[in-house]
Amino acid sequence: MAITTFGAIYIGSYEVSLKIFELSQRKQLRTVDHIRSRVELGKDVFASRSIGYELVEELCLILKEFRKIMDGYRVDDYQAYASVALRHVSNELFVLDQIWLRTKIRVQILSNSERRFIGYKALAFRPEFEEMIKESAALVDVGGGSMQITLFRKGKAVTTQHIELGIMRIKERLSEIEAMVAHYEKQIQEMVDKELGSFKHLYLSGKDTKYIILLGDYIGDITKGVERKKEDGTIEQERFLKKLKKFRKKSGEEELQELDISNEDDPLMIPSAVLYKRTVEEINAEYVWIPGADISDGIAYDYAQDHKILKPEHNFEEDILSAAKALAERYQSFSKHTEALLETSLAIFDAMKNVHGLTKRSRLLLQAAVILHDCGKYVSLVNQADCSYQIIMASEIIGMTHLEREIVACAVKYNANPLVSYEELADKMNQDSYMAVAKLAAILKIANALDRSHKQKFKNVKATLKDRQLLITVEAKESLVLERGLFSVYADAFERIFSVKPCIREKRMFQ
Amino acid sequence: MEKGKDFYKSEYYENRELSWLKFNARVLNEGRDKSIPLLERLKFVSITSSNLDEFFMVRVASLKDMVHAGYKKKDIAGMTPAEQLAAINKDTRELADLQYSTYNRSLLPLLKNKNIRILDAHEDLSKEQGEYVDKYFEENVYPVLTPMAVDASRPFPLIRNKTLNIAALLTKKDGNAKEQEFATVQVPSVLSRLIQIPGKKEKEQVFILLEQVIERNIHQLFLNYDVICAYPYRIMRNADLTIDEDEAEDLLKEIQKQLKKRQWGEVIRLEVEEKIDKRLLDILKEDLHVASDDIFKIPGPLDLTFLMKMYGLEGCDDLRYKPFKPQQVPKIVPGEDIFAQIRKGDILLHHPYQTFDPVVDFIRQASLDPDVLAIKQTLYRVSGNSPIIASLAQAAENGKQVSVLVELKARFDEENNIVWAKKLEKAGCHVIYGLVGLKTHSKIALVVRREEDGIRRYVHLGNGNYNDSTAKLYTDCGMFTCSEAIGEDATAVFNMLSGYSEPLSWNKLVVAPLWLRNKFLKLIRREAEYARQGKKAFIKAKMNSLCDRDIIAALYEASAAGVKIDLVVRGICCLKVGIEGVSEEITVRSIVGNFLEHSRIFYFHNDGQEEIYMGSADWMPRNLDRRVEILFPVENEALMEQVKHIMKVQLEDNVKAHVLQKNGIYDKIDKRGKKLVNSQEYFCQEAKRANPKEVNVYQERVFIPAETEE
Repeated sequence: MAITTFGAIYIGSYEVSLKIFELSQRKQLRTVDHIRSRVELGKDVFASRSIGYELVEELCLILKEFRKIMDGYRVDDYQAYASVALRHVSNELFVLDQIWLRTKIRVQILSNSERRFIGYKALAFRPEFEEMIKESAALVDVGGGSMQITLFRKGKAVTTQHIELGIMRIKERLSEIEAMVAHYEKQIQEMVDKELGSFKHLYLSGKDTKYIILLGDYIGDITKGVERKKEDGTIEQERFLKKLKKFRKKSGEEELQELDISNEDDPLMIPSAVLYKRTVEEINAEYVWIPGADISDGIAYDYAQDHKILKPEHNFEEDILSAAKALAERYQSFSKHTEALLETSLAIFDAMKNVHGLTKRSRLLLQAAVILHDCGKYVSLVNQADCSYQIIMASEIIGMTHLEREIVACAVKYNANPLVSYEELADKMNQDSYMAVAKLAAILKIANALDRSHKQKFKNVKATLKDRQLLITVEAKESLVLERGLFSVYADAFERIFSVKPCIREKRMFQ
Repeated sequence: MEKGKDFYKSEYYENRELSWLKFNARVLNEGRDKSIPLLERLKFVSITSSNLDEFFMVRVASLKDMVHAGYKKKDIAGMTPAEQLAAINKDTRELADLQYSTYNRSLLPLLKNKNIRILDAHEDLSKEQGEYVDKYFEENVYPVLTPMAVDASRPFPLIRNKTLNIAALLTKKDGNAKEQEFATVQVPSVLSRLIQIPGKKEKEQVFILLEQVIERNIHQLFLNYDVICAYPYRIMRNADLTIDEDEAEDLLKEIQKQLKKRQWGEVIRLEVEEKIDKRLLDILKEDLHVASDDIFKIPGPLDLTFLMKMYGLEGCDDLRYKPFKPQQVPKIVPGEDIFAQIRKGDILLHHPYQTFDPVVDFIRQASLDPDVLAIKQTLYRVSGNSPIIASLAQAAENGKQVSVLVELKARFDEENNIVWAKKLEKAGCHVIYGLVGLKTHSKIALVVRREEDGIRRYVHLGNGNYNDSTAKLYTDCGMFTCSEAIGEDATAVFNMLSGYSEPLSWNKLVVAPLWLRNKFLKLIRREAEYARQGKKAFIKAKMNSLCDRDIIAALYEASAAGVKIDLVVRGICCLKVGIEGVSEEITVRSIVGNFLEHSRIFYFHNDGQEEIYMGSADWMPRNLDRRVEILFPVENEALMEQVKHIMKVQLEDNVKAHVLQKNGIYDKIDKRGKKLVNSQEYFCQEAKRANPKEVNVYQERVFIPAETEE
């Protein structure tokens, strides 16, 4: 049996961890070792946006040990990620360089959405998860710097929101007043309520959520000993809240005993408990599920999936499309036109398969771009291209990397605006990505041109590639004069990129 | 917890120091047992003497500190430090009296019967013997002596802790006879205390004590003086050790506050020969600042530890037990792959009845096995030339990840530990030097091995140290397992010991100081709950010491609820039996035998779902609060039966067991009409029977006649 020994390193804002896994088809994922070390990078990061040398030193020492441990287990491969702890710090590159030079570990920085996606991957391999999201569920992932709430309806992710409420951040923000206030919990609650309130107002009004799924380092310990339902291991909301209400800063000896937590002096315990409690109250789901999966599991699943060791239960691409659609709906830009456009652009993409040189993943990005191509109109009809770009870049779509989001946003932008040269985009993407943007935008443009009137005058779009010509055959109910007239302008741009000339063949239908 | 309150009354508890003295009396009792071979009896008397020294240095010294610090907090038995010291003084004197009456009245005459003589007065020497002794003095002793006189210009010298010295009163040969001077000389510890000299008769073995040799020749040290008299003396100071860790933290703070009041190097005991000249004693008393209470007049040679040297006397095998050779563990065939044997199922080891070799072999094989990735082990007290250390170093050289936790705080062993810890570091091992504030007392070894179906972990858990020499003398239990749950926990233990965060959860192991006390309390209370429900409930436990207040209170509560509790406690036991409504259901017995009882077993009935645990912890506050200890469950059914059997035999022992009585006295069991059970002897025989007789390899074929059945 082929077994891959894999090391997953994650650098968080208060903890650095290494998990050693054995990945195999038969046993799936087996955790062999889990080493955690407290390093409060968040202390520097949240206060000064840079990491001081003492912490870099400490971090390197630990990573060096991790390197040794991985060598001890003779790992076949490893992946080291950092998220908020190193993202956006001013000396990010220097820290990464130091780590590499001193520990021979390459650390990659994840954007928030990538980080959340990996966290969520750990779950997506679990059959219970698929069951729960079939109805409706909210996934709450609490980290040191922030939390993420992702809503699922009918088996798909519809929205994901990043809220800057992390346990380490809360603790740091309150650290100065901690000694002055009598009710520490109340202060946390006030901070939490402000942020959660807006989320609830915007995304939850009038919608029921059956399950709430909680991820995070402390939730397991907090809910130790709480009775779970036999069938799926969930906890009834009431029972959950009853236990969480017991967490107070000045608990008595006996209360502590009852709480049964492993380290009652942990300063992050109370912020965690309050944050979870308020979130569960706000989302008001019937059942709480604590799957006990952590980011390291996600890193391992991600690796196993990429290396075709394991296949997930969940279809992540569907998530991207449904999330894009939910976003479009929010900006009232999802319409019949969008659907028609999807059909046409995919027909063109598929017909061009042998000449466009794009991957299957790009097809998904094309769909996302189509769905979101008009969203900026909600803000401004004149500046819609720029507004769409901004909206897409500011919204998170779970399952998409940061670069992919940039590609989609640019494709949408240069669908409406003329494509700029690579030099102007060079700080955002590499040349391959620039080519993807150009090609997707070109396809989007001619597809869009076909429905210029937004009246869906045709159906059954077919596209075929013949020599250097792309024949787009449509069955039209009405005259396509407008479309034909504008088509030639976009066709030139298309030809310049693909060296293929698109032309419309019209089959008039008469009822 | 309304119910529990009553059980904390101080009259329900015995003071731990007094209980310890009782233990030492039980050891002395072995020295008085006529059924035991003579040299073995000498050994027991010697042990009581070294035990008492350690007790003074550690326990009495800290009580003295408390008194100086004005610390008045009462112990669990309601005694203040001063009251404890007074009681200890009284009991120690009784113990010492018994020691010397045993030595003088029974051991010396018996030795004489066997033609062995120990001379403790040089006046008894014959002429030839005297000449021999004088020559010996001149050649061997004189060069290493440093006599020191005291007068106005020379202050009283520093007398070293625990050394034997001779004090002498001198007058100048040409001076005023009334001007007496004091001088002292240390009996050199580099020379053997016992010197064999020619016998008067043939086949007679005669020994003389070194201090007598010096006394006889003391005039040679002070040539210009007349020696009026000379007597040996010995002191004990509280200088070497800081406060014993067993005391509460608030005590430490208290003492730190009063640090200046602490009298460093204070003499806490002065032993002198009974016949000592009063003038000499007065000088000693004044210059050493000893209180009258702390002076012990000894009717015989000071410091009986020299008797241990007699134990090894050549040509006297009939005066000793036949040495027992630890037997092979039936499930482990020497030389075969030990990992394969463990994979077949958990294996229990019972030392010293069974050999410690498999544990040594476990590490040795791991160090050579190419599939082994890592070896991790805690080492507490290790023998001087330990094969385990050699293997660990070898493993590191073979490229394996080797982590070793070395406990430097092991009492009296610090120096020894540092030496081999450095050795391991040189070989490339990752050496962890203990945890701040915690002694690592747990015994655990982990081997991580890469196998065809993934990583497998092999664990050895024990309650004895990884010390192949003491494993021949201490009774200990150990277990080999490759259970995944325990393996995961073992990995977590080492991560924790390496300074990483605690694991999020434990599968099987319970680790002190974090969770162990609660676990024990829960187990005891659960048993009490069953008893209240009218169900059968019992606890059988074996340990070295029992002195934790919470645990004892929980036991009282359980007993009051009707739980049958049978305890085997070798040493200190602060629990009292037979108190009406409190401890009527509790029995306590102590086994003091040829081997040192050292295993810890905790067996709970749990309404039929029996649970058995073993581990490194006693029910003492220091084990539960200030040490890293591991408690592990024995879950394999065959192993559970074995452990239950061990408990059963120990509880049936009526030869070496002393049973604690209601009045606090330990009595031996009335053997009349009973089949004698000596548990240690029983286990020896059992271990021998468990192994096939050694087959003579040269004998090719043997026909075995069938035996007729009786």
